[in-house]
Amino acid sequence: MAKDPDRRDLFSGALDLMILHSLRVKPMHGYALAKHIKQASDDLLQIEEGSLYPALQRLLKEGLLESEAGISAKGRPTRIYRLTASGARHLEREVASFEKMHTGITRVLAVARA
Amino acid sequence: MSWFAQLFSRRRRYDDLSVSIGEHIAERAEELMESGTPRAQAEQTARREFGNVGLIEQRSRELWQRPTTESLLADVRFALRQLIKSPGFTATAVITLALGIAVNATMFSLVSAFLLPHLPGRDSKSLVVVSSVNPDARFQADTNPVSPPNYAAWENDTRVFSAMTAADEYRNGSLSGSGQQPESILYAAVSANYFSVFGVNPQLGRAFLAGEDQQGHDHVVILSHGLWERRFGSDPTIVGHTVHFNREEYVVAGVMPADFRLLGFPPQLWTPLTLTAADHTPSGRKNRSLYLFARLAPGITFNQARAQLNTLAQQAQQDFPDTEKRWGASIRTLPDFLIHNFNIGTALAVIMTVVGFVLVIACANVAGLLLTRAVGRQKELAIRMSLGASRFRVVRQLVTEGLLIALFGGGIGLLLTYFGIQFMRAGLSFNDGISAVPVTLDTNVLLFAAVISLVSAILSSVAPALKASHAAINTELKNETRSASSGREHNRLRVVLVGGEIALAMFLLIGSCLLICGVYVLDHQKLGFNHDHLLTAGIGLDQARYVDASRQNQFVRNLIAQLQPIPGVKGVTIASDLPASGLGNVAIHIEGQQESRSNEQNTAADVIVTSDYFQVVGVPILSGRAFNDRDDATAPRVVVVNQQFVHKYFQDRDPVGKQIQLDIPKVPPAWSQIVGVVADVKSYSEDPRYEPEVYEFYDQRPVASFSLMLRSTVDPTSLTPALRHTVAQLDSELPLLRVMSMDGVIDLQRNGNPLFSKLLATFAIFALVLSAIGIYGLIAYSVGQRTHEIGIRLALGAKVSDISRMILRDGFKVAAIGSAIGFVMALPLPKVFDSIFEGLLPFGSPAVYPIVLAVMLIVVFCATFGPAQRATRVDPTTALRNE
Repeated sequence: MAKDPDRRDLFSGALDLMILHSLRVKPMHGYALAKHIKQASDDLLQIEEGSLYPALQRLLKEGLLESEAGISAKGRPTRIYRLTASGARHLEREVASFEKMHTGITRVLAVARA
Repeated sequence: MSWFAQLFSRRRRYDDLSVSIGEHIAERAEELMESGTPRAQAEQTARREFGNVGLIEQRSRELWQRPTTESLLADVRFALRQLIKSPGFTATAVITLALGIAVNATMFSLVSAFLLPHLPGRDSKSLVVVSSVNPDARFQADTNPVSPPNYAAWENDTRVFSAMTAADEYRNGSLSGSGQQPESILYAAVSANYFSVFGVNPQLGRAFLAGEDQQGHDHVVILSHGLWERRFGSDPTIVGHTVHFNREEYVVAGVMPADFRLLGFPPQLWTPLTLTAADHTPSGRKNRSLYLFARLAPGITFNQARAQLNTLAQQAQQDFPDTEKRWGASIRTLPDFLIHNFNIGTALAVIMTVVGFVLVIACANVAGLLLTRAVGRQKELAIRMSLGASRFRVVRQLVTEGLLIALFGGGIGLLLTYFGIQFMRAGLSFNDGISAVPVTLDTNVLLFAAVISLVSAILSSVAPALKASHAAINTELKNETRSASSGREHNRLRVVLVGGEIALAMFLLIGSCLLICGVYVLDHQKLGFNHDHLLTAGIGLDQARYVDASRQNQFVRNLIAQLQPIPGVKGVTIASDLPASGLGNVAIHIEGQQESRSNEQNTAADVIVTSDYFQVVGVPILSGRAFNDRDDATAPRVVVVNQQFVHKYFQDRDPVGKQIQLDIPKVPPAWSQIVGVVADVKSYSEDPRYEPEVYEFYDQRPVASFSLMLRSTVDPTSLTPALRHTVAQLDSELPLLRVMSMDGVIDLQRNGNPLFSKLLATFAIFALVLSAIGIYGLIAYSVGQRTHEIGIRLALGAKVSDISRMILRDGFKVAAIGSAIGFVMALPLPKVFDSIFEGLLPFGSPAVYPIVLAVMLIVVFCATFGPAQRATRVDPTTALRNE
């Protein structure tokens, strides 16, 4: 019964998209991932931890990610998340569909502005 | 990943999650500290920024959970904890159900063994059995074996039957040789195609070949697995060897597999059935001895076969009115025939009904217990519902408890069933047919136990759960259980349950007592002769050595002469059949009486005896004389008849001097004079009625197989060695069948009646005890609930005796209504039993009704007396302060 009221400020799938994409660049642990997204978006996107961890678990469960024991930058034990092959395929599909959507929305907005 | 694997990898996932989150917060805190925040504040800020750790963890974990399974598991865990918390309740409920389930499953093992019979071979369900319908038989008229001419005629009708085979099942033969004592065994003579019709091949060797059912080629046998094991030590090279059987050499052709057996037909070996020209003459039509097994021709339905068979039987009636008049034909599928012929169904149906009722009573008791508990937990349930649990969820929780109780009950019940089956096996050895059937804890029984466990869980827990969940939340939470009369409201369902229990128990007790009395009367009826101190043995003189009547007669004379002088022997006699152990019926004609005024044939039981039979067996001669030496083979034929015969055919007028004629297969008809009348002897010990009987004289009509009887002054079985020795001296290869005392023979004929009565009695008492526990529980509980009320009453000056009377009255009110219902339900039972036991059990015992009622009331009094006494010991001050 996973209700997801916490993603209401992002469109559906956006968080997944960003997580998958970030992890394709480099496997990371949770905190690093949160920070990475925040920095990469120039602080435009704040990811709430309340959404991040459930999302990670969901992606793990769907087999798009895998986790392994690792050491954080500060030398503490943590879990490193890594993209799986099926995660990479999923990301490609999602990016393609996101781009289509993005183009569509941009065009509509352009018409409205004109 | 399968959800099952996820269930187990989950713990690791949860740990991973905690580690990740922990590290996240720690890292954030460190970052803050690096920017100059003091440690304590940094950690606090990191936590605050992260949010509710517990909630986030929870939400993340939920992704791994299957909500339905999880909550079910939670229900089960919770129910387990609840049950463990009240061990007394749990033990009572579990044991009650376990006993109920165990008796049902044990009895069902009999149903599984006898009513779902094992069928050998290929597609045996489509086999049919063709029988004659005996117009004069009182019981099982339509399973009569068939005569050879009818077999030939019906087998030839290939439009209906694609294959038919015949078996003459109950033959006795003697197996001797290899240095062992001659042994009498039951065997069957079967047509050459017998095994191929069943589609079963021997385990060793071959089946009979076509042509081996012709005289001169018929000295081959096929051994049963049991005989091969027991007598021949499972010799794998037995095929081709000869065995000494019926004084002749037979070649062993094969050995059948162990699972080739038909319910009620336990032959130890098979020989070919040879039918001669004499068998096919019109007089051979009286020799109805063949069981016919057949396969229907392709495209022929069962009903078409039946119709065609009826036509054939009518044809035979027209063509051979002398022998076939009123005889019909019947067809049944193999399983149907076996069950019907074995005739254990009625007893099993009665027992299953009884144990079914016992289970219902047990369920009612458990329901009562659950109800009491639910009342005690009303508040807990109200809180759960006020916190948002749906009614369904609460009911599910309570039903889960019921299921768990039933699960444990079923488990323990199954264990008890195992022992119950051992016990039944020991008890079920009263005849060969019964003991040949293995009673086991098979899959049918397991399945049955599972189903009844489930059913009893539902029966016992759904009503209490629904009732409990109905409680209004507000009143429950506010109500401080101070109301003195709240008990009554809660108790209504329990009163109904206990009343129902008592009604059922009453019904069961009356029914069981009627049956037990009937069986007792049957087993203890006067048989009409002196059956103690009588040793009996069966002898079958074979054709090989005793070719003709004079040889047989000679042997009998010698035997009697040699046995007479043995010390302890007071008298010796022989008879074609033992008294009270089932006699054959013959048709009779009476001189000067108009034949068949109605369409009914005059018949009488027929027995052939030697001259001092009446004196040795102890049957008084009422008029005329017994047989004597002047009535030899050349003298005019004479017979003696019994009182019932005189009553039925001579309207009680003296028949001495009158002529009658007996219609006996293979014997030329001749008129015989009645010379004497003797007292009635039961022709079967388990028949409540007397039959007309005709005694013939052995010297005038010798028969090859007969029973020997020794009247002794000592324990009859102690004469067995002397008897064996004397017979061996006369003929060392002659086996003695069933050497046993007459009392032993009668015991055997009771055919499980004592076991039947014992089972009934056990279950009825069981029902009584359960309902006593039920009413005790109800009254004890209501006394507990009404402590407050009783305290007030006492404080206001009620007398102690008033209180106990009030409690007793409550108990009796329930008991009286329950008993009355049970009593009325039981009123038609004698009629019902009469019809299902075909008048075979005497039911002249209306006294059963008031006695059972009295017993029930006494039991109810005992069960309520304790709680009533406890009520009087209520101390008003404590009762009022308490709560």
